[in-house]
Amino acid sequence: MNIIEIKELSHMFSDGTLVLDNIDFSVKRGEFIVIAGRNGSGKTTLLRHLNGLLFPTGGTVLVDGVSVSENPVRARRVVGMVFQDSDTQIIGETVREDVAFGPENLCLDRNEIEQRISDALKITGLISLADARPHLLSGGEKRRLAIAGVLAMKPEVLAFDEPFSNLDYPGTRQVLKQIIELHASGRTIIITTHDLEKVIAHADRLIIMKDGKIARTGSPEQIISDTEMFGIKEPYFSRMGLGMISWLS
Amino acid sequence: MAELTSFSYRPGHSFIHKIDTRFKLLFIVIIGFSSLKASMSGILLLSLIAVCGLVMVGISLRQVVRDLYIFIFFLIFIFAVRAFSAGGVALTNPFGMSLTYDGLIEGSLVCLRIILIVLIGLLFTSTTRTAEVKAAIDWILRPFPFIPGGRVATMTGLMMRFIPVIMEQARETSSAQKARSIENRKNPFYRMVKFSIPLLERTFYNAGRISMAMEARCYSGKRTGQKLSSNINDWISLLVIISLCIISFLV
Repeated sequence: MNIIEIKELSHMFSDGTLVLDNIDFSVKRGEFIVIAGRNGSGKTTLLRHLNGLLFPTGGTVLVDGVSVSENPVRARRVVGMVFQDSDTQIIGETVREDVAFGPENLCLDRNEIEQRISDALKITGLISLADARPHLLSGGEKRRLAIAGVLAMKPEVLAFDEPFSNLDYPGTRQVLKQIIELHASGRTIIITTHDLEKVIAHADRLIIMKDGKIARTGSPEQIISDTEMFGIKEPYFSRMGLGMISWLS
Repeated sequence: MAELTSFSYRPGHSFIHKIDTRFKLLFIVIIGFSSLKASMSGILLLSLIAVCGLVMVGISLRQVVRDLYIFIFFLIFIFAVRAFSAGGVALTNPFGMSLTYDGLIEGSLVCLRIILIVLIGLLFTSTTRTAEVKAAIDWILRPFPFIPGGRVATMTGLMMRFIPVIMEQARETSSAQKARSIENRKNPFYRMVKFSIPLLERTFYNAGRISMAMEARCYSGKRTGQKLSSNINDWISLLVIISLCIISFLV
């Protein structure tokens, strides 16, 4: 059963630049997809179509069978988006308030909101920082807060835009562990990145984008050796013929 | 890791934190109007109490001065204009303008009023969540059918929320320019232009990104609001504030 179906998706900016050109693919429930490509290949623009932050200028995006253009609010409840820059995603003045932001927007009952805050903070390991000021958190903690803020809305799909950018080694480990746990708990994961080394060993499918088009799609084992052709660094373990090795191991 | 500015909300459990936001807004209005009639010693008394409040909630006065140093130039300008434009017997005549005793008093009074309002404002923003401000404004505007209370409250809440973000950006922009020796340029107009343009560009760019992140989390005017509740302490505080304002007229 597909949770996301993208058919002949095109997107043109107002200055006439074609950023997405006839994209076709679908995402199965529970799947872990990595979308890779150079800067400007259209990864972020594609991701923003999944929860109605951008609308297609051609083609359709269906989330759980409903067109995103027709019902963007529903799409935003199903697909939670974690942005590349956590600082611009943080709205609340404390960690707890920031996590509450999404459920409050869904007009949930106060008790339900409190429950969701507690659950999301437990999952992301931020419960001890509930009353801390978000802008004083470390990079990894901020990224986990951004994840908690999205988790509190109980989305089925989590879309991460460059989740490891600007993170140090411990921060990257924390966020990667979090993503793997979320996938293990049954959520569908979509990640855009140009750094495959960290995450590809956990993915079910790799999509390579170039100039707004899908250049390759398939299992990571099948197409990982083609990545260098598209300006993406091939992971060390692949170049050495060591098979897929988790960055956490 | 970012540094907090004086305008940032500081979570806490102080007495001021616990006052109902509707009462806090009322206090600002009462003190604001009182400062127009209060004597100089009265304004000093109210300012001193506001400073004690800031210290109580953990704001460093040194940081306040550092964050507001541009504001100090603004105060000096206002003081100078008042001091040289008021009537009365001239104490001295530098550059052909008359500096009068009345002007000095009037200039000091205006500056003290502005400082008092800024201190009260700082105390308010550092002890009040924007969600509470939004809920309070929504509550205050509810009886007025032709004013879109929800929208006004949302705009006020967002404005309050992002003042510290803009201050932080201003600080970063200033540091980046100092790193490239902007201080060697003595022309203040040149420095102001070079500072303002990137700051405004970054502010608008970030505002766009923040609004997109809010939209991604289903933000709209209709959402679960903050609960407001008042208790006996709020009413006692109101009595204290009114008494202090009356004293400020008399001293």
